[in-house]
Amino acid sequence: MPRSIWNGTITFGLIGVPIKVHSASESHTIHFHQVHESDGARIKQKRMCSKEGKEVPYKEVAMGYELRGGEFVMLEKDEIDAAAGSRSRRIELEQFVERDQIDPVFYDRTYYLGAGEDGADAYRLLHDALEQAQRTGLGRWVFHNREYLVAVRASDEVLALHTMRFADELVPVSKLDISAPSRKPSEPELDMAEQLVESLHKAFRPGAFKDTYRDRVAELIKRKAKGEEIELPEYEEPEAPDDLMAALEASLGKGKKSRSKARS
Amino acid sequence: MARSLWSGSLSFGLVNVPVAMVTAVRDLDLHFRQLHEKDGAPIEVQRWCSKEDVEVPWDEITHAYEIEGGGQVIVTDEELEAIEPRRTRTIDIESFVDLAEVDPVYFDHPYYLLPAGSDDGSARAYRLLVEVMARTDRAALGRFVMRAKEYLAIVRAHDRALMLSTMLFADEVRDTKDVAAATQKSHKPSAQQLKAAVAVIEELSENWEPGEWKDRYRRRLQDVVARKRKGETIKVPEPQEAAEEAPDLMAALEQTLAEMRSGKRQKQEA
Repeated sequence: MPRSIWNGTITFGLIGVPIKVHSASESHTIHFHQVHESDGARIKQKRMCSKEGKEVPYKEVAMGYELRGGEFVMLEKDEIDAAAGSRSRRIELEQFVERDQIDPVFYDRTYYLGAGEDGADAYRLLHDALEQAQRTGLGRWVFHNREYLVAVRASDEVLALHTMRFADELVPVSKLDISAPSRKPSEPELDMAEQLVESLHKAFRPGAFKDTYRDRVAELIKRKAKGEEIELPEYEEPEAPDDLMAALEASLGKGKKSRSKARS
Repeated sequence: MARSLWSGSLSFGLVNVPVAMVTAVRDLDLHFRQLHEKDGAPIEVQRWCSKEDVEVPWDEITHAYEIEGGGQVIVTDEELEAIEPRRTRTIDIESFVDLAEVDPVYFDHPYYLLPAGSDDGSARAYRLLVEVMARTDRAALGRFVMRAKEYLAIVRAHDRALMLSTMLFADEVRDTKDVAAATQKSHKPSAQQLKAAVAVIEELSENWEPGEWKDRYRRRLQDVVARKRKGETIKVPEPQEAAEEAPDLMAALEQTLAEMRSGKRQKQEA
């Protein structure tokens, strides 16, 4: 595990749990540099003053909050940082909720927690208690000059921490334009669809999905390095079925056929 | 109504549901522009050629991948587009899984899928999918391509809408076996400690009411901007040192429970 990105203490009641925060994910996206087409030289970004037309060094950069009419309120970078609040090194779990009550749409980034110095017993205690109570703890975390709402839960053997989205950041379904059909799906259609769902039901095995696009980008780079030409493919647009029931039946028939074929 | 970020069809067996994707989250953050401190003029970021020292227009910029041992391979936008998979206009449902089985670590960005076809058939196919997933508590896994990247996606019923979340691939999620999770037997809490800790958790338990948790950071930042506009100066708070914790777990647990039960510890305001 790479080194931790934050160290501090989680508290619940008077109990302190020293922890280390690690990112739970790492991106494998293939990154490109921007280059100038004519000479292949690296593009560099320059901060230019729009009034003077001259490059501005970073230490002369301030932040502007735009008001209506194009005027700005100018702030120093550390005045913005002041909004982080207390900059405390602790996360107080203020409240616990049933683990299954939180819809995953609220979870933003995930971090894994390791036990901090001399904190192994307290770590295990919080983990096991959360697991037994089937609950998730909620608190506030100040990280990189920003305060987050966080959820701490037991995930297998470790404690996981999620930064959370706030309720007002989620678009309510009532704001969406979802046209109602002239008649609801019929029971036979629902039964048929349910059979189709069942026929495609599998255990969740995340490792079964590979990022094939990433592989193709790597392959493209390899072919380009050898000087090969790349061709463009064409697309076909699929259409919505006129007869829903017929499409469901055909799907099920097809599903069965291919399964029996696989067995023989 | 937010504009759609992607449109195509969700394909489920031989049933195709035309859908448009819109974001499920709105950006309520305060955004700032960089200004030149001296004259308050906005800063423009320009792209310059590092060899010729001239500004480069967008249409003269291309991508390069640096290869090991020096040198680079130039890859154009068109070539990147050419390797987008053929199924770029469909989200092909490959399987259905129990929603509860999917660890939240895999969820990335949430979107809604809206029925896109103008005909009644599309609206019914959409509704059918919402109802069958709500009824079975299953979510659909599929792939799609958006903005030149292939995503793994999970689609589920959310109210009367379909919600799609992009997902991390398994190799993007770190293995927890290297996390210092204190799994050795010696760290296992005693039955008495565990009972007391569960009691503390239960004392602090409430219903999950997401609307009660406000973004205090956003509020404070709005306040900083408002004060600054009035010409006030903003003081930057000093970092706080964490207070030392009681080393004895059992004593801390007992004291917490005693204080809670005597009503001394009040629930904090969210």
